[in-house]
Amino acid sequence: MKISGSQRLPFPPEQSYALMQDPAVLARAIPGCQSLERTGENEYRMKMKMALAAFSGAFEGQVRISEQQPPSSFRLEVEGSGKIGFVKGGGVLKLEPSEAETMVHYDGDVQVGGTIAAVGQRLIEGAAKSMIQRFFEKLAAS
Amino acid sequence: MIPQTFDYTAPSTLDQALGLIAQGAKPLAGGMSLIPMMKLRLASPEHLVDIGRLPELRYIRDDAGVLRLGAGCTHYEVETSPLLRGKCPLLSETAARIGDVQVRNMGTIGGSVAHADPAADYPAALLALEAQIVLRGAKSQRTVAASGFFLDTFATALEPGEIVSEIIVPVEDAGAGTSYQKMAQPASGFALVGVAARLRRSGGTIVLARLGVTGLAPHAYRAASAEKALEGTPGTAADIQMAASRIAEGVEANADLHASADYRRHLAAVSAARAITAALARTA
Amino acid sequence: MATTITKTKTLIGKAIRRREDPRLITGTATYVEDIKMPGMHYAVVVRSPHAAARIRSIDTSKAASRPGVVAVFTGRDVSNVGPVPCGASLPGLRVPHHTILATDRVYYAGHPVAVVVATDRYIAADAADDVEIDWEVLKAVADPVKALEPGAPAVHPEWPDNKAFDFHQEHGDVEKAFAEADVIVKQRILSQRLIPTPMETRGVVAEWRAADRALNLYSSTQIPHLLRSMVAQMLGLEENRLRVVAPEVGGGFGCKLNVYAEEALMGFVAMKINKPVKWIETRRENYLATIHGRGHVDDYELAATRDGIITGIKLRIIQDLGAYHQLLTPAIPTLSVLMMPGLYRTQNICADIVGVFTNCVPTDAYRGAGRPEATHGIERMVDILAAELKMDPAEIRLKNFVQPSEFPFPTATGLIYDSGDYAAPLRKALDIVDYQNLRREQAEARKQGRLMGIGMSTYGEICAFGPSPATPAGGWESATVKIEPSGKVTVLTGASPHGQGEETTFAQIAADELGVDIDDVLVVHGDTALVQYGIGTFGSRATAVGGTAVYFALQDLKAKIKKFGALLLNSDDVTLANGQCIDNKTGASKSVQEIAAASYRAMQLPPNTEPGMVSTHFWEPPNFTFPFGAHLVVTEIDRDTGAVKVLRYVAVDDCGNILNPLIVTGQVHGGVAQGIGQALYEQAVYDENGQLITGELMDYAVPKAHMMPWIESDHTVTPTPVNPLGVKGVGEAGTIGCSPAVVNSVVDALSPLGVRHIDMPMTPEKIWKLIRSAQ
Repeated sequence: MKISGSQRLPFPPEQSYALMQDPAVLARAIPGCQSLERTGENEYRMKMKMALAAFSGAFEGQVRISEQQPPSSFRLEVEGSGKIGFVKGGGVLKLEPSEAETMVHYDGDVQVGGTIAAVGQRLIEGAAKSMIQRFFEKLAAS
Repeated sequence: MIPQTFDYTAPSTLDQALGLIAQGAKPLAGGMSLIPMMKLRLASPEHLVDIGRLPELRYIRDDAGVLRLGAGCTHYEVETSPLLRGKCPLLSETAARIGDVQVRNMGTIGGSVAHADPAADYPAALLALEAQIVLRGAKSQRTVAASGFFLDTFATALEPGEIVSEIIVPVEDAGAGTSYQKMAQPASGFALVGVAARLRRSGGTIVLARLGVTGLAPHAYRAASAEKALEGTPGTAADIQMAASRIAEGVEANADLHASADYRRHLAAVSAARAITAALARTA
Repeated sequence: MATTITKTKTLIGKAIRRREDPRLITGTATYVEDIKMPGMHYAVVVRSPHAAARIRSIDTSKAASRPGVVAVFTGRDVSNVGPVPCGASLPGLRVPHHTILATDRVYYAGHPVAVVVATDRYIAADAADDVEIDWEVLKAVADPVKALEPGAPAVHPEWPDNKAFDFHQEHGDVEKAFAEADVIVKQRILSQRLIPTPMETRGVVAEWRAADRALNLYSSTQIPHLLRSMVAQMLGLEENRLRVVAPEVGGGFGCKLNVYAEEALMGFVAMKINKPVKWIETRRENYLATIHGRGHVDDYELAATRDGIITGIKLRIIQDLGAYHQLLTPAIPTLSVLMMPGLYRTQNICADIVGVFTNCVPTDAYRGAGRPEATHGIERMVDILAAELKMDPAEIRLKNFVQPSEFPFPTATGLIYDSGDYAAPLRKALDIVDYQNLRREQAEARKQGRLMGIGMSTYGEICAFGPSPATPAGGWESATVKIEPSGKVTVLTGASPHGQGEETTFAQIAADELGVDIDDVLVVHGDTALVQYGIGTFGSRATAVGGTAVYFALQDLKAKIKKFGALLLNSDDVTLANGQCIDNKTGASKSVQEIAAASYRAMQLPPNTEPGMVSTHFWEPPNFTFPFGAHLVVTEIDRDTGAVKVLRYVAVDDCGNILNPLIVTGQVHGGVAQGIGQALYEQAVYDENGQLITGELMDYAVPKAHMMPWIESDHTVTPTPVNPLGVKGVGEAGTIGCSPAVVNSVVDALSPLGVRHIDMPMTPEKIWKLIRSAQ
């Protein structure tokens, strides 16, 4: 499944870029993130609890950041699995100055497997969009 | 199909139930959404409180110009209530289009509203009816307009510890006409798109148009620009087409296995035109 | 001794209500899930969430330490259990080694990896979540066409081209037919993957009786005896120490005509833990790990003369096999080839099948098994040809049918069609709808801009599987009929019916033949400890083959009744009629019940006659039967939404003699429901990573009652000479005749827009897009 879109951050690109590389900030901004622990250069282990209305599930996985070109772009890869299935996604985030703020354009691919893939079909895209929205809202507020 | 262990309480009063919910228990009404999710282990609440059996939540009554429905009313009760059929037929018509007979016998209006599935049928009707939703917690009660209740996919104005306890809809005056038109997804029965229309006509002019749309967007919404396009017109075929063509304005349409965004937008326009036409024919 | 046997037909042909229904509709029937035993344990199978992955390691320690868990087994533990069998053989067939649990690699999402056994199923399910598997995820391929492309991920690394087999068959001079044809039409036609969806999922209870070194296996299966033979082999058990019971089976539709890993696995578990164990498949597992049906990509070419005579057919089938061969997986598309000429006379055919591995659950027999694909293909192609030649679809069919005088008719594919009058059901269907008038109505509707369609299919099918040399297992069926000392009649059938109504029809046969009350007849089936070896119910065979075995067992028994009757009456000229053995000279008589009692008491025995009143017959059919019929469907398309409304559904089926019209109609209705499911709603969808995204009933659209049209069911009757009952079989007819009729109708509705073909399922969106692109 392709996921792409744009979000505005009320900071200049340099600051936006830095925020998105800061594990402490990410841990607060990623919806449901319970811990984000550095395991290597630009690699983190993440525990999260996703909740969407009645649905909930614990995931454990990795976050990897690569192809860093501050302050204009980087690649983000996330991989997580739990009892209800797995999620694997990757994509490039491009930061573009927009007056004093930043437009973040994201374009990526998400793979979902297990029970969530089978029953969540009509909800996955909406859920992904809403999580991204919440992520940027929290980032903007940080 | 085998849920995780959970505790189950069936209290005899709403206050007891709300007390348990305040402590973190999950309310269970008809179970038409929650139980399947539990069986798939996509939801694993530790404690269920059964509010589906509370007589306190099961009533439909006429109360000085408004109709009050307890959240525990089943879709079947909403569908067949003579009071609703006479005074708020849109809600009965909508209930009749939910899922199948088994679901309508078990599922409740409060459960459906609280669950806020983006393709559920009631939200379209409640938005068109400008319904009020009463939310109760152990120590609180507040009333929220439907338009402020459905916030996002499965996200509502409910705070932790609150349940939907009552739905308030207006008594339709004699001149009003309503209709709910839906294209169902054949597997689940949920709406690919559903449009509820509520119109009032005076002297050959549409003086009030309310259009609720479900299934199209991450949450049900009122199509304000289509409503505006319709109000003040005589409701000719051209007026209806004009309004229907604006039903999806400003909306990012859902897409999934069952329907593309394009098709959903198209269906929304078709359903809107049909709902408006049918509602108009029912106005006095 | 004279051998007058007077038959008094009182029950055959009557619409008797099914005797099995009261227990089914009152919830008192015993399915596998209803079996409870002291000390019973519960198993949950751990499955792969990935379509292709290497197993780096499996850690079962956490699961094993959960209180209540008694055992966790993985692939290594079951290495002595034989592989899941493939009963089909084709030249050069590649057969992957199909262990009952994955060992180092998984090949489809849902592949069983481990089994957790606990004292209750909730504990087992919790513990299954505790099994930790370290996966190395590999690239998967789920689309059979993509799997054939160079560079596609290899499902089985040893066969990088993903081909399991190539099959070729031809007859006549196809090249000449195409070279000389006035017209050639070509079309790619898909027959999508379908999920059988029986109401009852699979389930197994295994009970090891250590003292007897014997295993009882209760399974929701269509083939208890074949299952016994194969599971015994897999487990290394003596066959006569394995008892298989198929209790009430809540639907099979072919998906329980199989031998599954879990059936042997539960036997293994019961023997290991020395306790009864139960496994009930969840709906989610049923979708992931029980066989699917269809999965065809067919390329058709038809050669014809200007006046519509079909002179040649070419067909290339790409069959999506899935990751493994289940019992009959590779054989199913060969049935499509057998049926590819349909009811038409052409002798020039050329067929190729490429069997393709994909990272999906295997395909196998699903109601119709190979014949719906073939019928769909030829019936669509005939319509495409008719459109090309601007001929009426009924007329072109009538021109090409095998004629009644030509039976037995050898087909280009090597079958001998037994009997038929193929024009008769078509003419009847046309009469029922008043075809000419209906076409006028359609013309009128078109003038008003309405999209109304009239479509038909004239189908033939191979039923009553079948002569043994033409089937992977035996093609015969068995019956024992006993008259107990009390006079009650017990019929034991090897056919193991599971919902088709043979407890009623076989009782009708027995009651009529013996002249006893139908309530005195009990039909017993599905237990290898009670019933002589048998084959099972599939391929519309239970009545045509199993019923015939009952019939012949009854003839033997009647001869014996007459011998005892003659002895008791001290006569050499007796008649058996209406349950009485009558002395033709004196008129004195003895009832069948009295005679049965005397045969057991055995005070006196007729010469060369054993005591007792039991007869067993194994009946080998000389041929298949070939039922046929015509389905005619009137549809109207909602121009705005693309939704299809079926206005009329007329099914005229010829299944030979009809033993019980109520049951035949029920079979037609059920078959049509599944045909409409395929035509309009159902499709198993895997994403490009091999995840089944229609993995639940929320997303896989099985038609519900309210989505069904009214079905006008009628018949013509052409008895088959293949069996003395004259019955051909009707279990699959509805499904086979349905989908092309519905699609032809919808294509007809859209033909003014230039539409020539639509693939199934014909969703509203698909049709809306066609309408939109035409505007």
